[in-house]
Parts: sequence; structure tokens; C-alpha cells
Amino acid sequence: MSNEDGADRSITAESLRRDFAELHAVDGVDLEVPGGQIFGFLGPNGAGKSTLVKILTTILNPTSGRATVGGYDVQRQGGKVREAIGVALQDVGLDPLMTSRELLMLQSELFGTPRDEARTISERLLKTVGLDDVDPKKRSGAYSGGMKRRLDLALALVHDPRILFLDEPTTGLDPASRADIWEEVRRLNDELGMTIFLTTQYLEEADRLADQIAIINKGRIVAQGTPEKLKREVGDEVVELQFGSREEAERAYDVVEAVAPNRQAANRELRLYFGRAAENVPELVRVLDGAGIRLQGLTIEQPSLDDVFLRVTGEALEHEVDEAAEDVPAAAEVTS
Amino acid sequence: MNDILILIGRSIRNALRQPATILPNIGISVFFLFVYNSGLSSVAQLPGFQGTYLGFILPVSIVSAAVGGAGLAGQTLIKDIDNGYFTKLLLTPTRRLAVIWGPMIASAIILTAQVVLVMFIALLMGLKVAAGPGGFLLVVVLAFLWGMAFAGYAAFMALKTKNAAAAQAATFAFFPLIFLSYTFVPKEYVTAGWLKVAATINPTTYVFDSMRSLLNTGWDSTSLIVGFAVTFGFATLTGIMALWAARGATKMS
Repeated sequence: MSNEDGADRSITAESLRRDFAELHAVDGVDLEVPGGQIFGFLGPNGAGKSTLVKILTTILNPTSGRATVGGYDVQRQGGKVREAIGVALQDVGLDPLMTSRELLMLQSELFGTPRDEARTISERLLKTVGLDDVDPKKRSGAYSGGMKRRLDLALALVHDPRILFLDEPTTGLDPASRADIWEEVRRLNDELGMTIFLTTQYLEEADRLADQIAIINKGRIVAQGTPEKLKREVGDEVVELQFGSREEAERAYDVVEAVAPNRQAANRELRLYFGRAAENVPELVRVLDGAGIRLQGLTIEQPSLDDVFLRVTGEALEHEVDEAAEDVPAAAEVTS
Repeated sequence: MNDILILIGRSIRNALRQPATILPNIGISVFFLFVYNSGLSSVAQLPGFQGTYLGFILPVSIVSAAVGGAGLAGQTLIKDIDNGYFTKLLLTPTRRLAVIWGPMIASAIILTAQVVLVMFIALLMGLKVAAGPGGFLLVVVLAFLWGMAFAGYAAFMALKTKNAAAAQAATFAFFPLIFLSYTFVPKEYVTAGWLKVAATINPTTYVFDSMRSLLNTGWDSTSLIVGFAVTFGFATLTGIMALWAARGATKMS
């Protein structure tokens, strides 16, 4: 729960629920995030990620259940929670009329930092997020999307929080800006022991950064564990079969059922999950050959978080579907 | 207390960066002063009229500035909600009261500065304050409290509607209050019974009375106590309404 300095950096939730009229945005979530971890919270748009972050950061009350952050109850000790946390929400919160230095100074002072110290902190953080060479008179309203996000991250760090909440910190950013944020998140965790609760739609982001991952879908946590554990649960190895057409892939899906009961189809490909793939390949080829289905390609690889996500939610993440929207069928089918 | 001072400073600095949000209101106040004083000053010739018409009409200019300038607090809150900065402030240990009252007090301070400017213009036009410099100061304090009252109302409407146009329109709904009173002539010369009833229940009347007594006749304790009590009560009511609206806006959305 605590690090060397004795400060509690943990996050817990018990049967947490938040309803909006008929919608169960967060539907009975249990969580235990030990201090000092990067915890990746993965889910598609509308899965309940942001609602959960708002509850944990005290800006939204739960309908029922209990949560603690840094050892403090989010409903009864909101002020204590806010002193312990830094938050960068999905929608950046900047006053467009103020400059970066003014925003950082004001934020520091609101956390009780004396003015001189606040000035030093502001300069240090501007350097940290790479905004120190921006025209000091430039107001935040004139910043690019990436600059705004970096400034927002800096604002979340003015008081050296024990726990940092980042709600989709890289959504909409170019690859270079995304890599910068990843590097900074890793540094904050390594050097300062900060617990980082990171929500994301990007599987790669969760895979690269998170020590633990929870996958949320329709308000419920459907899988939780280390990335390695989650991938192992899908299977030790994946055989990917490529076909000439979608129709052939669909036919093959039925034909290989006896050999590979654990499988999913996407467009002209099948992904089959095995404990040891090589042992099953000859039988696979034989079955397909017997059905007159011609293979275009076959690869053996490790399962990815994509496979985990597909398995537990039954669908691909939205942004990934978008990327190949023209060819991909409505939803990949998962059998386990 | 520090958090509220920090947020007042921020709101004032932002308002000064957008002079267009302040200047029209000053212009309208000065316009009222010139037009009514030059067009209706013969009212001062009526038997029983005490003091100058300038001292009589100046409170109308001040109160209308309060109604027009009140929208600033509401606009600040709506902009903060729209651009996410309101949430950013709520994520700090800052008291909710400071987040809501900061822009309200800033709005009332800006209004007070406008009132001081309008009063100096009135002095240049020949105004003699019957109650002296102390009276001048009390008129400014009354204007500040009146500004707080309308800023509270504007903040309440902003937090309830979260819509800039609706919040601005709601403040204009108070303009009739200025005219449902003894606005242009003393009470003795108003003959319409309905207007007398409206003026009696209209809090603006008591603000006019207090300011006019200070400007035109000197120290009148009854008028001052009633004027301050009404204004303070109105400001407290709208301030509480704004905080109540903030509770809904911060936890339910």
C-alpha cells in the first residue's frame, strides 16, 4: 500500500456503481491498485473509464459503493484525496486567456505553494514537458492540441502528487508527442514512485506502460492482471491463417472447429489459440486441404492484448475497427 | 482566504484582457447620466425637491451598471465550465466557495471601479455630495454590495443553465426593476397606485433612497439602515443560491 516514505499510494474500489438514469456507466467495479504501479485501464469509448476516473478523483459521486485513493475515502475525505492526486482529464482544462506560466503559478498557489517556490516549480515543469522555449506571452488558447496536453500534464504535477490520474493522455496526439508522454509517465513512476492510473483506448500504450491492466466493457471489469498473465490466458501461442477472401476465411472458421475450438475471425484472417501451436499445424493444414480451402499464409506468434481484448469483450477496440473499416466485418466472433 | 484572493485576481486580470466585456457597460452608465440629467433636470425645480437632479439620477446610472455588469461573473463561470478549467479548479484543494465567489467578487470589484469612475464624472459635472467624502464612500460600498447581489444571481443562472446566452438574458430580466420604482421623479410626484405598490416591494427603491439621501440630503440613518439591510440580504440570498447551484453542477453532471 505504501512506499518507503510511508505515504499511501494505493487505489481501491468496492462494488462501485454510477448510474445515469437507465444507464449503468460504472456497474459494480472492484479494484485494488497497489502503490507505485502503473495501472492501465483499457476499454472502448463509452465503456465507463472516464466516469470511474471522475469518481476516483472526487468530481463525481458514485451512486453506491466505496472507493479510497491514497488511503482516503473519495466521498468523505475529498479534500485529502485532492491534495494527494494529480489529474489530467481527457478534455484538457486550460483557461485560454492565461499563459502557461500564469496557469502553473496559479495552480501551484492553489495547492498552497508560496509564490517564489511556485515560480521555480513552474519553470522546472515547463522544461520537463518541453514547453520552456514557447513565447512566454503566448496564451494557452493559441497552443496546439499536443502543447495543451503537455501543459495540462504539467498542471497535474505542480504539487508532486503521490498518485497521478491520466485519462486517455495520448488520444489524438501524433506519434512523437505520444512517445514523449510515455517517456514522462515511465520517468514519474520510476524516479518518484508515483502510482499512475492511466486510462487508454490504445492496446499498445497499455502493453508498453502498465504493470497491471484492467479491461472495462459496458461498466464492468471483464479482465484484470499483468499484460503477460492476460495474454497467457488467451493461449501461449497464436496461429494466424490468411486466406484469399472473406468467404474462404468464414468457411475455414467452421472447418477448423475440431482442431482449434479457441479461435476468432477478422476479415480474411483467422486467429487460433493453442498451448503449443507447432503441434497442431500439420492437422490444420490437412483439414483445410481436405475442405478444398487454400491457405495464403500462416504465421505463429505470441498473443497480443488485441487478442485478450477481443476475447473478453467480443469486439475490437473502436479506433482499430475504424482504421480498416472498409473491409472488416461488423464484429469478430470469439469462441473459447 | 488565500484561494479566494487568488481566484479574484485571476478573474480581474482576465476581464482586463478583454476590455470589450467592460467598456460597453461604462458607456451605458455615462450615457444614462448625461441623457437623464440634461433631459429631466427641470424636475429639480418642483416644489419640495431636495438637492440636485444630478444627485437624484446618479443612483439610477449606478444601479443599471450593476445589472448590466453582473453578467461578467456568469460569463466567466460558463467559459470555465465550457473549456474544462472549472473542473481543473475543482480538482485542487480550493474550496468550492472560492471557485464560485471568486468570479462574483471580481465582477463586483470591477463594477465598483466603474461606479467610482462614473461618480468622478458626476463630480466634474458639478455633483456636491451632501454627506461629504464619507457619503461618497458609502455609495461606493452600496454599489459593491448591489454588484455582489447581481453577480450571485448571474452565477446562479450560469450554473443552472450552463448556457452563456440564457445566463445573459436572465440578467436582463432584472432591468424592469430599475424602472418599477421612483426612478425619475420623487415619490411625492408619482400618482399611479400600481407603481407605488411595485416600488414598495422593489428592493431597488431602498438602494435609490439610501444613495439619494447620501448624495442630496446628508446622513439619514433610517434610509441607510434599510438600504444596507435590503442590499446585504439580497446579496446573501443570491450568494447562497449560487453555492447551492454549484453543488448540483459539480457532483451531478
